Amino acid sequence: MGATVLASQTAPVTADDRERFQALAEEHLDSLFRAALRLTRNRTRAEDLLQETFLRAWRSFHTFKPGTNARAWLYKILMNAYIDGYRKATREPEIVDHEDVDEFYLYTKVQESDDFRRAGDPEEVLLARLMDADVKGALDSLPDAFREVVILADIEGFSYKEIADLLGIPIGTVMSRLHRGRRQLQVKLWEYAKRAHYVSADKPPAGGGGR
Amino acid sequence: MTELDCEQVLQLVWKFLDGEMDETRYLEIQAHVAACAECGPRYQFQRRLLALVELKCREGPVPTELKRRLFRLLEE
Repeated sequence: MGATVLASQTAPVTADDRERFQALAEEHLDSLFRAALRLTRNRTRAEDLLQETFLRAWRSFHTFKPGTNARAWLYKILMNAYIDGYRKATREPEIVDHEDVDEFYLYTKVQESDDFRRAGDPEEVLLARLMDADVKGALDSLPDAFREVVILADIEGFSYKEIADLLGIPIGTVMSRLHRGRRQLQVKLWEYAKRAHYVSADKPPAGGGGR
Repeated sequence: MTELDCEQVLQLVWKFLDGEMDETRYLEIQAHVAACAECGPRYQFQRRLLALVELKCREGPVPTELKRRLFRLLEE
């Protein structure tokens, strides 16, 4: 068996292989790049990660079975390359869940806030106030183990089962990390929303204390 | 299956929005949320929050120069 594997690995690359790989990569490159940007939080590192992923995929293209899930295959390579080269060795993240943070943290905060309620449709105002940089910043601030699952679920749209396969962790772990990640994300978003609010409100800038 | 109360419905918000439950339960929650003043606005908000995260994290296509560099690697 070893010989066959070797033979297939060293088989000369045909123009047809190259063309098929090119078509596959073409289809998924943009979303892989988006994931790489969020994972590495840095454009240069994201480009390096994308290139590493691309090369690994090309080298193991002979193991890809046509008709199977190409996107999952490529993301598995992406996540492996990311884990090998970009992620610090992570243990299970420390539990920093605040007692008072539940699934509806942000909703509750907005409802409780007089400033937002005065705005008429407080939820609309809140969501409209959050800029791209706020959401990306909030996501970037999460512990790696939470960040990864939030990226894979909420941006890349993978199912719990697919994420479990991509990261090699049990599905229960995916769920708990995702749910905790989303809770922490809301805490961060609320910080950004409050900041944005005070900037846009008619209050004197910092210096006066304002209390 | 026993009918869910608000507390149980609220606990299942992520699984519901992620489509990670069987159809019977999904339909049950959908009906509850549509009729409940307590759960409805909360579910609606979480749905918009998830959509916001997806929307705000969009990126443009891979830069042309990078793409060209990658495809050139295949020639080697």
